[in-house]
Amino acid sequence: MGSHAHYREAHPLVFVITHYINLICMIMLAFSGFYIHFPFFSAGFMGVARGMHFVAMYVILITLVFRIIAAFFVKTATQLGSREVDTDIKNWLPQAENKHQLFETVKYYLFFRKEGVISGKYGSLQKIAYLATIPLTFIQAYTGFAIYAPFMNAGIFASGIDMVGGPMNMRIIHYFGMWVFILFTMVHAYLANIYNFAPSKIIFLWKETLPEGKH
Amino acid sequence: MAHEGHNALHDLLTVRGVTRRDFLKYCGSIAAALGMSETMAPQIAAALEGAPKLMPTLWLNGGSCTGCTESIAQVDSPDVATIVLDYLSTNYFETIMAAAGEQAEKQIEETIAEGGYIVIYEGSVMTGQDGNTLLVAGKKGTEILSEAARGAAAVIAVGSCAVDGGWVYGYPNPAEATGVQAWLNHEGITTPVVNLPTCPVNPEWIVAMVVQLLLVADRDVAAFVEKTEWVTRSYTDRKYGAVDLLMPKGIFGQSIHDNCPRRGHFENGEFVTEFGSKEEAMGYCLYKVGCKGPQTFTNCPVVRWNRRTSWCVEAGSPCIGCGGLNWVDNNSPFFHRLADMQMGDALGNVQPGSVGAVVGGVAAAALVAHGLGMKAAGRVGDGPPMEEMKKYDRKRLAKKGGDK
Repeated sequence: MGSHAHYREAHPLVFVITHYINLICMIMLAFSGFYIHFPFFSAGFMGVARGMHFVAMYVILITLVFRIIAAFFVKTATQLGSREVDTDIKNWLPQAENKHQLFETVKYYLFFRKEGVISGKYGSLQKIAYLATIPLTFIQAYTGFAIYAPFMNAGIFASGIDMVGGPMNMRIIHYFGMWVFILFTMVHAYLANIYNFAPSKIIFLWKETLPEGKH
Repeated sequence: MAHEGHNALHDLLTVRGVTRRDFLKYCGSIAAALGMSETMAPQIAAALEGAPKLMPTLWLNGGSCTGCTESIAQVDSPDVATIVLDYLSTNYFETIMAAAGEQAEKQIEETIAEGGYIVIYEGSVMTGQDGNTLLVAGKKGTEILSEAARGAAAVIAVGSCAVDGGWVYGYPNPAEATGVQAWLNHEGITTPVVNLPTCPVNPEWIVAMVVQLLLVADRDVAAFVEKTEWVTRSYTDRKYGAVDLLMPKGIFGQSIHDNCPRRGHFENGEFVTEFGSKEEAMGYCLYKVGCKGPQTFTNCPVVRWNRRTSWCVEAGSPCIGCGGLNWVDNNSPFFHRLADMQMGDALGNVQPGSVGAVVGGVAAAALVAHGLGMKAAGRVGDGPPMEEMKKYDRKRLAKKGGDK
């Protein structure tokens, strides 16, 4: 889990770029979102914060759609530390290697087993988390549009507002949605880098790390 | 104007010292409430002046503070809305009618017997203890409403209490208060209900509905319902389930925030953080002290209150969201940005921000603890030794081996 190689095949340049876009947009969204939630400084920033919030979300949505489509065309590594590639969507969705491993992965992280678990490109929990960000992003977009005046009276948003018991509740759901993303980011950054920083080198600098003994 | 000088309403206005100009200005604001151009003011004036005694009206009070009545009746100078509504003939008006006792109650019976009347209902429908939580002249309030609504051409539910129970409906609601529409659904009464929330109701909205009935629908209630633009808001009553409410779109279609005169300060990031501060004196945006304008849909900033004098935010108070549904539970505490989450008796009411901070803090602490565990387990650096085969496969193989 820690000492395997990190090749560019794991994260082709196009996904390094989408990862950057997502990261930057998420930081902008969280920052501007916190400001809109409660303006913590007064410096003519609300208009900017709202503009930033909308633009960043549109960019994330476009990037997400692109990322999903690209998954059917771009080839990525099928295994950790491997240069063998296949269509990305196969590696993104659960692979044969992930079967029967979810409970073992949980046990591993709770220190109930010593050996690392076999996984495909990603571990079972990791894949669940990554895939969950897709509906979560859409939920955030939906709840966000529902509290945004130009859209809130449209049928699909108005009925959602009624369903959750009013725009205030929609706002609170949107607020907690952001916390889910913050938690995801915390756990994601932690687990990606707990063994060493090779994963960050490949995703941010696109710099390969060779396996032990092959410097 | 054809009717000028020789009709009852004109005389009434003149006697009370309202000038023609005041009246036309007033009609202009009614036009705004109806989502019409202000150039419609003369037509509205003509419609009001030309109206014979409109429709007999019963103003019934449920579980209410009579604040909506106050909003209409208690003025220190002649109020056009009062005069117009008065003119349109209220046969029964619990709080302010001259009649009393049996004679007054008879008015209800007679009006119902004659038919073709409108019910204006103020206050919540008190259904608790089998309806005995509200008795008027020895009769259950729920019964009075049902009887009156059954034969009415339409019911206008004025004020938040009549719309969905209002603050009486707020947790824990021991009187089991509910709204008019929810009650009529329960009773199977299909009379159309026009909902005018806020606490109290703005009298000009009632007049706006009357004008709509006169001008657009020519006193035909079915046409009135059909020709008026509505927003339908739905909510779930804790006792009576899902309820759809008709509200006029011209009045309840836009948020307070979007028409707020302090909106510029909002965009500029100029906020009141504390009452009594310099920022408050400068009329900055009240968002940080809990203004619920962004979540509240009424045209208060356009029509304003007390004969277009002012309204809550203009007067310096954050909007407390009284035009929303279940507004007390959904908007309290009034001076906080977000509503409290009601977590039951054990945890009490909690601010979403506190929940977020606690969850984030606990997660951060858990990750640090986990990281220390990972280090202690010797996993940091090269990671753990990897398994040769999935445990599932090992077990299966072992089982197969055993079988042989």
